[in-house]
Amino acid sequence: MTLIATRPDPGEARPYTFPDLQRVTVAGGTVIAAHLPGQALASAMLLLDAGAARETSGREGTATVLAKSLEEGTAERDSAAYALALESLGAELSPGIDWDTFRVGVSAPVPQLLGAVRLAAEATRTPRLDRDDVNRVRDDEVTALRMDWAQPGPRADAALRADLFGAAERFGRPMHGDPASVAAVSVDDVLAFHQAWLRRPGVLLVAGDLDTLDLEALGEAAFAGTGGEPLAVEPPLGVPVRDQRRILLVDRPGSVQSTLRLGHRAPERATPDYVSMTLAATVLGGAFTSRLNHLIREVKGYTYGIRGSYAMSRRFGRFEVAAGVQTAVTVPAIVDTLGEIDRTQEFGVTEDELAVARSWRAGQLSVEMQTPGSIVGALSTLVVHGLPDDYYATLRRQYLETPLAEVSAAAAAHLRPHGLTLVVEGDAAIIRDELVAAGIGDVVDAEI
Amino acid sequence: MPARQYGRVTSPSAPVVETGYPWPIETTRLDNGLRVVVSEDRTAPVVCVNLWYDVGSRHEPAGQTGFAHLFEHLMFEGSQHVAKTEHMRLVQGNGGSLNATTNPDRTNYFETMPAEHLELALWLEADRMGGLVPALTQETLDNQREVVKNERRQRYENVPYGDAWLRLLALLYPEGHPYHHATIGSMEDLNAASLETFKAFHQRYYAPNNAVLTVAGDTSPAEVFALAEKYFGVIEPVAEIPPAPKSHLAGPATSPVRETVTADVPAPRLYLSHRTHPFGTAGYDAITVLAAVLGNGRGSRLYQRLADGSRIAQPDFIGAYGVDLAHAPAPLIITATAKDGVSIETLEEGVSEVIAGLTTEPVTEEELSRAKALLTTAWWRQVSTVGGRADTLGRYATQFGDPATAAYRLPQWLAVTADDVTEAARYALQPESRVTLTYLPEAQNGESA
Repeated sequence: MTLIATRPDPGEARPYTFPDLQRVTVAGGTVIAAHLPGQALASAMLLLDAGAARETSGREGTATVLAKSLEEGTAERDSAAYALALESLGAELSPGIDWDTFRVGVSAPVPQLLGAVRLAAEATRTPRLDRDDVNRVRDDEVTALRMDWAQPGPRADAALRADLFGAAERFGRPMHGDPASVAAVSVDDVLAFHQAWLRRPGVLLVAGDLDTLDLEALGEAAFAGTGGEPLAVEPPLGVPVRDQRRILLVDRPGSVQSTLRLGHRAPERATPDYVSMTLAATVLGGAFTSRLNHLIREVKGYTYGIRGSYAMSRRFGRFEVAAGVQTAVTVPAIVDTLGEIDRTQEFGVTEDELAVARSWRAGQLSVEMQTPGSIVGALSTLVVHGLPDDYYATLRRQYLETPLAEVSAAAAAHLRPHGLTLVVEGDAAIIRDELVAAGIGDVVDAEI
Repeated sequence: MPARQYGRVTSPSAPVVETGYPWPIETTRLDNGLRVVVSEDRTAPVVCVNLWYDVGSRHEPAGQTGFAHLFEHLMFEGSQHVAKTEHMRLVQGNGGSLNATTNPDRTNYFETMPAEHLELALWLEADRMGGLVPALTQETLDNQREVVKNERRQRYENVPYGDAWLRLLALLYPEGHPYHHATIGSMEDLNAASLETFKAFHQRYYAPNNAVLTVAGDTSPAEVFALAEKYFGVIEPVAEIPPAPKSHLAGPATSPVRETVTADVPAPRLYLSHRTHPFGTAGYDAITVLAAVLGNGRGSRLYQRLADGSRIAQPDFIGAYGVDLAHAPAPLIITATAKDGVSIETLEEGVSEVIAGLTTEPVTEEELSRAKALLTTAWWRQVSTVGGRADTLGRYATQFGDPATAAYRLPQWLAVTADDVTEAARYALQPESRVTLTYLPEAQNGESA
């Protein structure tokens, strides 16, 4: 048997295209739609400028409780009738929030999309929000958060966020709130949030076969009975970074892994360095062959996987490395991780590594954007960050062409290894002494 | 290309669907036995290459649990002409997404690439099918053994209720049955894995005549058939591939089994499970519809009656689903988690009553069409990417001998009647055949944690 030894050359690439966009202004709102001919399913998302950032201090989780209350009946029908109507179309509602937006998504077979969007709008615009129901949903959400917080990760995330953004600030509290803040959410908080933010038109995003979808009708369904002007975007928060490292220890007795969350603040999404930062982070911790995953997983075997990335919203960003490592190797894993961040910050990236990062990011714009759901997600990025219709073609070109010097400069400027907060969630009785002895930074017990 | 027909719409909630696979399918078989399946679709400039190897954890003998999956990891660590780390670098470095999974039935490998890199993907797959053994080293094995042990810690040991699946399999299938042990394997067996065993494993099972190569997306059958011959044609078939241990079981168990775990979990949780029918049978289609009626969505019986109605179950953690295993009666799993202040006994009584209701309160037309509408969306979502399509065709070619049979699954779900669901419940969901696994928090008597 003789296998072919020579790696084949690529064939000719088809030019990159993002689906054609159509815009319709109707009933006081805007529909932005992407044409995906031949898809059996279509997706829609009502995108409202009503993210977690708009919640009242101490009541973090209000928007999440509202999102979970939308299907508890509407002005038209009770919750059982609503579930039956929606699910009989093959649709399920996925209401959710992030820092910047409140999103209500539905997908359904193309002929059913209009019916599904009508029902999504009915739940979003005219939910019943009966007081007993909202109280019950709130209590259930407290329980669900406690379930979630029993997993490794959420407590470490909360500790890191509080340290980076300040426990007293909205951005320093978990996006969905914590068990205490959600318990404090009142029915009036939920009603007020709905009244203030969910009765504005927002934007309806649609992806599917536009030859058979009626965008006017979809828009009328989405925007009926709404009013209000677009809201101003508040300025970015800035990028304060600590002048020395600190370790926050979150105790999880009996944990067989230590959950690592290493982070510092970073610029907001609108930064001109967005592409070069993304490429630098891809080399450091994004791709499978990234420096971190190669060393910590593939050479050392300390973890099932480790990632490093920037996450950016309209007003702030942060750099974060996340991994679960075997308890016994907690300190060596941290030391090796810091070494790779240091090295990347100081010496930048190489041409070979950057070539992988470029092609991967560029190719993903085709490979990971095949479905109506993924295209709707891509459209939401355009709207939230005010990007032009040809953005993805531009982004692809930038991924392929940004000079190495700019990528290394972004690593130098936007990695701050000596200002990192290192959250370690694990069995403190086993790892504390070793962490202290390692001299990485002051070890503080996190109050979480 | 023929116009696509997704079915005539007769009413908003009852579309008539004649096929679940409206794309072309062409197949061939190389002289060495490799089956090649191609499904052309020029919509997007992407292509998926998928290999199903007909080997999974059901083939593992005692003392070698977890080997099929650990072996899957080794397939990414280099082969005869692909240096260590190069596989991942070449796929991602040319824009692709890749992964592999192992389950009791089989092991699959797949990469979706920009279409101009189709040939690269085929070269990579052929090199590790035909040339893995020369590249296997003790160092690689030792490293990936540690990675897999960390995978076990992360997914099963370090999360509340994380070992439920491991426990359920052992309760559902008798000692010695190929589904009795979980794919992740035991730490003890993983520690004992030797390099020679893996070399033998590859030589025994990673043969062209034990695999299906499926390519879906921006290419043509002629191109793929020629490239398959070029890269895979030289690989020798394996004469006698040992069959998996016998997996025949008559059907549901005949006596109930119960296990109670007291552990560091945040709330009492219940898993009720039954062996049903093998995936791919009419009986299992009825089970699939039954699971949707019972536990998929807010309109399901479990949600309506226990999360909404009596409010004894947490709304985010209630549901029912089948695990699509093809070589023995497959499990149906029903799960619910108690709300604060609700005892596990109350919860179990509530869930049992809803299950019993499937035979005593016939499923209504509304319930049936709701379930079918959700299954229809789920089906189209599964085949909405070239990756989903390639994997689906690979499955049907491997398990049922013909990828075109994938088209029948959705129409067969839609043909299930209310009587079929009642009959499926009567056959498979009796208390006598039930596995009951409950988790209780360690500090049951104190304040809720």
